[in-house]
Amino acid sequence: MIERRFLQAAAGWLLLLFLVPASSVAAPQKTRTVIDNLGRSITVPARIERVLSLQPEITRIIVALGAADRLAGIDHFLRTNDPLFKIIAPGQDRLPLVSMADYNVNMEMVLRLAPEAIFGAPEDRTVVEALQSKTGIPTIALSSQGRFDRLIAEIGLLGSVLDRSERAAELIAFFQAGIEAVQTRIREAAPEPKPRVYLAFWGSPTRTPVHYEPVDAAGAVNVAENLLPSFLGTLIANVNLETIIAWNPDSILVHGNYPIHQRAVTTSQFLSDRRLRAVRAVRDRRVYYTFGFWNWWDPAEVLLETAYLARLFHPGLFPGFDLESRGNAIFKKFYGVERAFSILSATIGCGAWLDAR
Amino acid sequence: MSIRVQGLVFSRRNFTLRIPALVFEEARLTAIVGPNGAGKTTLLRCLGGLLPVPRNTLFLGDRDLAAIPAGERARRMAFVPQEQASAFNYAVREFILMGRTPYVSLFSLPSPADAARAEEALAFVGLAGHGDRPCQQMSSGERRLVLIARALAQDTDILVLDEPTTFLDPKHESDVLDLARRLVDDRGKTVLVTLHNLDMAVRYADALVCLKNGTVAAHGRPAEILTEDLLLAMYEIPMRILRHEGRTFIVR
Amino acid sequence: MRDKKKGLRFLIYFSPLVLFAVSLYLGTYRIPLPDLAKTLLSPLVPAWKAGLPEGYASIVFGVRLPRIILALAVGSALSVSGAALQALFKNPLVNEYILGLSSGAGFGASLSLVFLGPAFPPQISAFLFAVVAVLLVLSISAKSESPIVSLLLTGVIVSAFFTALLSLVEFFASPYSLQALFNWLMGNLARPGWSDLAVSLPFVLGGVAVLVLLRWRLNVLSLSDEEARSLGVDLRKEKFLVIALATLITAAATAVAGIIGWIGLIVPHLVRMMAGADNRRVVPLSAALGASFLLLADDIARSLASFEVPVGIFTSIIGIPLFILLLRKSSQAWS
Repeated sequence: MIERRFLQAAAGWLLLLFLVPASSVAAPQKTRTVIDNLGRSITVPARIERVLSLQPEITRIIVALGAADRLAGIDHFLRTNDPLFKIIAPGQDRLPLVSMADYNVNMEMVLRLAPEAIFGAPEDRTVVEALQSKTGIPTIALSSQGRFDRLIAEIGLLGSVLDRSERAAELIAFFQAGIEAVQTRIREAAPEPKPRVYLAFWGSPTRTPVHYEPVDAAGAVNVAENLLPSFLGTLIANVNLETIIAWNPDSILVHGNYPIHQRAVTTSQFLSDRRLRAVRAVRDRRVYYTFGFWNWWDPAEVLLETAYLARLFHPGLFPGFDLESRGNAIFKKFYGVERAFSILSATIGCGAWLDAR
Repeated sequence: MSIRVQGLVFSRRNFTLRIPALVFEEARLTAIVGPNGAGKTTLLRCLGGLLPVPRNTLFLGDRDLAAIPAGERARRMAFVPQEQASAFNYAVREFILMGRTPYVSLFSLPSPADAARAEEALAFVGLAGHGDRPCQQMSSGERRLVLIARALAQDTDILVLDEPTTFLDPKHESDVLDLARRLVDDRGKTVLVTLHNLDMAVRYADALVCLKNGTVAAHGRPAEILTEDLLLAMYEIPMRILRHEGRTFIVR
Repeated sequence: MRDKKKGLRFLIYFSPLVLFAVSLYLGTYRIPLPDLAKTLLSPLVPAWKAGLPEGYASIVFGVRLPRIILALAVGSALSVSGAALQALFKNPLVNEYILGLSSGAGFGASLSLVFLGPAFPPQISAFLFAVVAVLLVLSISAKSESPIVSLLLTGVIVSAFFTALLSLVEFFASPYSLQALFNWLMGNLARPGWSDLAVSLPFVLGGVAVLVLLRWRLNVLSLSDEEARSLGVDLRKEKFLVIALATLITAAATAVAGIIGWIGLIVPHLVRMMAGADNRRVVPLSAALGASFLLLADDIARSLASFEVPVGIFTSIIGIPLFILLLRKSSQAWS
C-alpha cells in the first residue's frame, strides 16, 4: 500500500522533472509575443519562415526587408492594382492569390499554404479574428494608419519577427534621415504662414483625408485637418465645393497613385472648373499630383512624397531636387530595383509631376 | 338603337355560347335570365364589347361591332359591371365624370359641359347632393347607382348592365330597376340586364331572353314565353307561375 | 374645411418657390443676404459685380443654383412618375422603381465606370440600361395572363437580376472604379454641373409636362382594365405611353442624380391624403411637393455638417415617419 503511493509520488516527481527542464532546455525565445493594433496579444514563432500578408503595407515592408521569398501568398490588390508592387516584386505573379476584395479571404487556401503567421488589416477586425479562429494560425492586425512613428515601429517589428533586424534598422535609419533632412531645412528657413493645402484623394474632388502626415512633415497645413471623418475608423471626409471655396487653399494636391486611364479626378479638371476660379490654388495654377495612398503606405513612396512635397511647397529651399533621380535612389535603397521610379512613371506619370505647366 | 346577334359562336375552355339569331329591340328593357353557367355573363360581355367577337356576328344598329373602333363604340354603348372596387377613393362626382372619357381627348381635361352632363346623371339616379362623398363610403346599393350614373354620363343609346341587382336588398333592387325603366321610358335608351330574380324580370322587362347551356331557350315578351315547362327545362326544378292581382309570381 | 384644404393646396404649390429662395442662402460659405441679392441681380447690373468677391458669383451660379434646380426637377420627376405608375398599376404602394429601373441604372453605371473608365460619364449607360430593364419587364410580362400582377412580379425579378449583375461587377472591379461607382450609387445632387443639367433637364421636364397633361386620363386608367376598355380607352397604347413617360423621366433623373429612394412612393401618398385621389390634383401637387421635398432633404444634407451625407438618407428619415404619421391619421385616401 505504502509502496504503491510512494511509487505514484515518485512517478509524479519524475514527470515534473522532465517537464520543467523541457521548457527551459528549449532554445531561448522560441516564441515571441506581439501586441497588434487591435490590442490583441499574439504569440508567434521567434523566427517566421513562412508568412502570409493580406495587408499590402506589410507585404511591401516584407519585400523591403529582403524577405520576399518567405511570402506564402498574395492578396488581390497587390496582384492587380498596385502599380509599384509589380515593379519591386516581379516574382509575385507566381504567388498564390489568397483573397479577392479585402473582406473575401479564401480560408481553405490559407490553410493549405500553412503560413506560420498571417498579417491583416486592423480596419477589418472580423476578418482578422475569423482568420485566427478558423485557421488557428496567429493573425496580427497591423497598419501604420497614417503615422510615421507607427510605420517605423512596424518596420522594426517585422524586422525582429523575420529575423532581419539589421536590415530593418538600416531602413529605419535611412527613412528617418530623409525626413529629418527635409524638416531641418524647413525649420531653419521656412516662411510663415505655412502654405495651406487641400487634398483631393480617392477618386472624388470632394473626398479628403482629415490628416496626412507627409503634408505636415513638408511644412504645410492640411485645410481639412481635424474635420470629423465621414466614415468611422477611417481618415476620409466628404466635403462639398463650397467648403473648398471657403477654405481657399494655396495649393491643391490630387491623388496621383492611379493608373492614368483610371483617373476619375485630374488636375486639369480642377484647373478648368469655372466654379473654382476664385480659389487661390486654381488662380495661381498650383494644382499638382501626389502619391497619396491606397491600402496604406509604401514606405519608400512616403519618404519620396515627403521630399517631393517639401520641394513643392518650398521651392526655394530645395533647388537641386530632381524627382526622378531621387525617386530611383529611394526605391533602389528599399527594394534593390534599378530605375523603379522611372518605370513607375510609365503607369502613373509621376516623372512629370514637377514639370512646369 | 337595336342590337342584332347573328351566328355568334363564342368558345372558352369547357363552354360554348351559340346563338344563331337574336335581336334586342331598341328603346326596350331586355332581361337575360337563366341558370348559373348558362352563359348570361358571357353573352353580356360579348355584347358589351369586352370579349373579342368575330366579324359579322354582332351589330349595333347596322354597324358591325367588331369593326367599330373602341372610342366610337364607347359613344354608342355603355357597360356597367356588377361590382367595382377601386384602389383609390374617388369622390362620386369624379367617378361619374370618368364616363365622359369617350368625349375627352387624351391630353385634355373634361370641359364644363362634361361636368354638367355628369351632374345631370348624378341627379337622374337620385344622388344629387352626394357628389362630394367618397365612393368607398357609399353602400352597395348606392354604389350601383353611381356605376349606372357613370354609364349614363357616357351618353350612349345602349346600356348593358351585368347583374345590377345581385346582393341588393329588396328596396335597392327596386330602385335600380325603376331607374332602368326610366332610362327606357324617359330617355329612350336600349337597356340590357342580366337578372337572377325572375319575378323582377317578369315585372320590369319588355323582353326576356332565356339562356340554357349557351343557347337561347326562349325569347320574347315575358307574358308570352314564360311557361312552367320552360322553367322546368331551364332550371330543372318544378316551378309554378301564379297570377295574383294582375301581377305574376314565380314560386318553387 | 374646404378653405383649409384649398389653403393647403396653395401652400404646396407655393412651397418650391419659397424653398428655392431659402436654399440659395444656405451653404457652408456664408454670403450675407444683401450681398446674395446683389449677386443674383449682378447679371443685370454689372456694376454690382465689381464690388463683390469673386467667389460669390461662382458659388451662387456655379454651385448652389444648379444643385437647387436639379433637386426641384428630380424631386418632381420621381413624384410624378410614382403617382402615374400608382394609377396605372391600380396600387398606391407602387414606387417609381417598380419596373426594375433603379437596378438597371445601377448596373449600367457600373458597366460604364468599370469598363469605360471613370472619365466617361456614366449617365448614358445608366439611362440605357434603365430603359432596357423596363423593356425586359414589359416583354416578359406581356406573354402572361394577368398583366398587372405579372408586371409587378416581373419587375421584382428583373430588379433582382440586375442587382445580382451589379454585385458581380462590383466584385471584380478595381478599387479605383469601385470608389467612383459607390459615389454614383449613393445619389448625389452636388456632382452634376450645368452641362449635365442641360442634357437631362429637357427630358425630365418635358416628360413631367406631358404626364401633367395626361393627369385626368390617369383616373380612367386607374379603373379596372375592363372598365377602361368599355369607356373606349386603347389600353395598350395608353399604358405604354404612361410607362414610357414615367420610365423616361425616372431614368433621366436617376442617371444624373443617382438612386434616391422613397420619393415616388411617399409624395403622391401624402398628396392623396391631403387632396383626395383625383389625379387632376394629385399629379401637379405631387410635382410641387416632390420638388420641395427633395430640395428640403438636400438642404439638410448639405447644411447639417461639414461633410456631406447622401441625400437618400434624408428622404428616408423625413419621409418615412411623416408617412407613418399621416397613415394613422388619414381616413380613407386609399382602400
